[in-house]
Amino acid sequence: MSGEENLEKRYRRVLRLLPGYYRDTWEEDMVAAFLDSWLTGDPYTDECVMEFCRPTWPEVASVVGLAGRLYLGGAGAQHRNPARSQAIRYAVLAVALVQAVRGLDVLMLTAWSRHLLGWLPAPPPGMVVATPSGALPPVVWYLVAYAWIVSFLLLTLRYYRSAQIIAALAIVPDLVILLQGQFTGRLPAPYIGPWAFWVLLNLAPVLAMTAFQPDSPPAPRLPWLLALPVNYLVVVVPLVTLGLTGNSAWVPDFSGLYCILVALACLAHTPWIRSRRAASTGVWSLTLALLAADAGAYRIFSIGDYVHVPHLISVSLAELLILVVAVALVIPDAARAYAATPEPPPYPQPG
Amino acid sequence: MTVQAFFVLSALADGPRHGYGIVGEVAELSRGRIRLKIGSLYGVLDRLAAEELIEPDREEAHDGRLRRYYRLTRHGRDALAEEAQLRAATARVVRSRLGLTGAEPAG
Repeated sequence: MSGEENLEKRYRRVLRLLPGYYRDTWEEDMVAAFLDSWLTGDPYTDECVMEFCRPTWPEVASVVGLAGRLYLGGAGAQHRNPARSQAIRYAVLAVALVQAVRGLDVLMLTAWSRHLLGWLPAPPPGMVVATPSGALPPVVWYLVAYAWIVSFLLLTLRYYRSAQIIAALAIVPDLVILLQGQFTGRLPAPYIGPWAFWVLLNLAPVLAMTAFQPDSPPAPRLPWLLALPVNYLVVVVPLVTLGLTGNSAWVPDFSGLYCILVALACLAHTPWIRSRRAASTGVWSLTLALLAADAGAYRIFSIGDYVHVPHLISVSLAELLILVVAVALVIPDAARAYAATPEPPPYPQPG
Repeated sequence: MTVQAFFVLSALADGPRHGYGIVGEVAELSRGRIRLKIGSLYGVLDRLAAEELIEPDREEAHDGRLRRYYRLTRHGRDALAEEAQLRAATARVVRSRLGLTGAEPAG
């Protein structure tokens, strides 16, 4: 029977989703527990079970969830490489911050356009807050923008699951519009950039929020909370001003801005690497490497949006080059932190 | 301590158990409210082992496969006792606030 497909082999195939180090410790035990949940002790029944039964979907889902937590540095994995786990959490916080700053931009522009900010000059005539056209009313997009602010704040204040649920809800309208555009042909081909945005800046951070577990070392609250208004003032306000003063040609698209900001962060971090011990900077180097991968991937996929605008392709490639050069400065430190896996926790053999 | 970890430790309080035995005991202790999936159980066991709250006890052959039994460590026993006291104290306060101080919980 050993060469035939049976329930045990089906379970082992599912368990291949788990990291190798984890399977080394737990696979045999998990297979035994899985089979215990099926076998009755009656030889005929058990033979049928082994031959015909398959892992149930809830069981497969629990293994997928465990694999996700282990790869993302959540439960259990925290003990194996704390720097890697913390870097994932910081990268998620950074992407949530980016989304929250965009949400704050929508909030402020809405307030300004409705004359709610009396200390500002009157808004330019005809100024409107752009929202995607489609089946969903504008109010949904305002709610999505504000939801990211709430999600970021909850993540910072350590209400991890609430933050993840709100962010998960916030990415649904974008998916609806993407699917609508895809199937009705309303939006122009190749249509890769919007999908890349949804996957890399919506879905990925929502899934990676799993890395925040109750026993995770918390990120410092105050710096992250302050990062929201500071980034709005330092990044968004100048760009909005450029746009409103007729200089919008100087404003990069979102993908380009993401690349430039990550590149600047890498450049700002480099002196710290040189002046301090690698152990103290490795988490941030790893974080920046993750963000650079995210920004670079988004830039590459969104270049397709400019297939008919050659000079914007050149600009996009230049942004990509700047990002690659900048991240190269932090990669050696990030690689050291990534490889610095501490000794695995003790699993004493039965005595 | 998460609810799942609390129930897994509680399942080991009166003696070693193997993986599926823990699943059954947790379901019984929680009166069916917590039905651990195997993937979830081994996530919890991995964390508890890493925190040295549980340890392997022995291995027994069963139908050609080895079942590994787990037991509480001294540290695990202390942590469980502390958590049980905290939960009992919280339950007393809540019952008091609900005006249920005279009645013992059923079952």
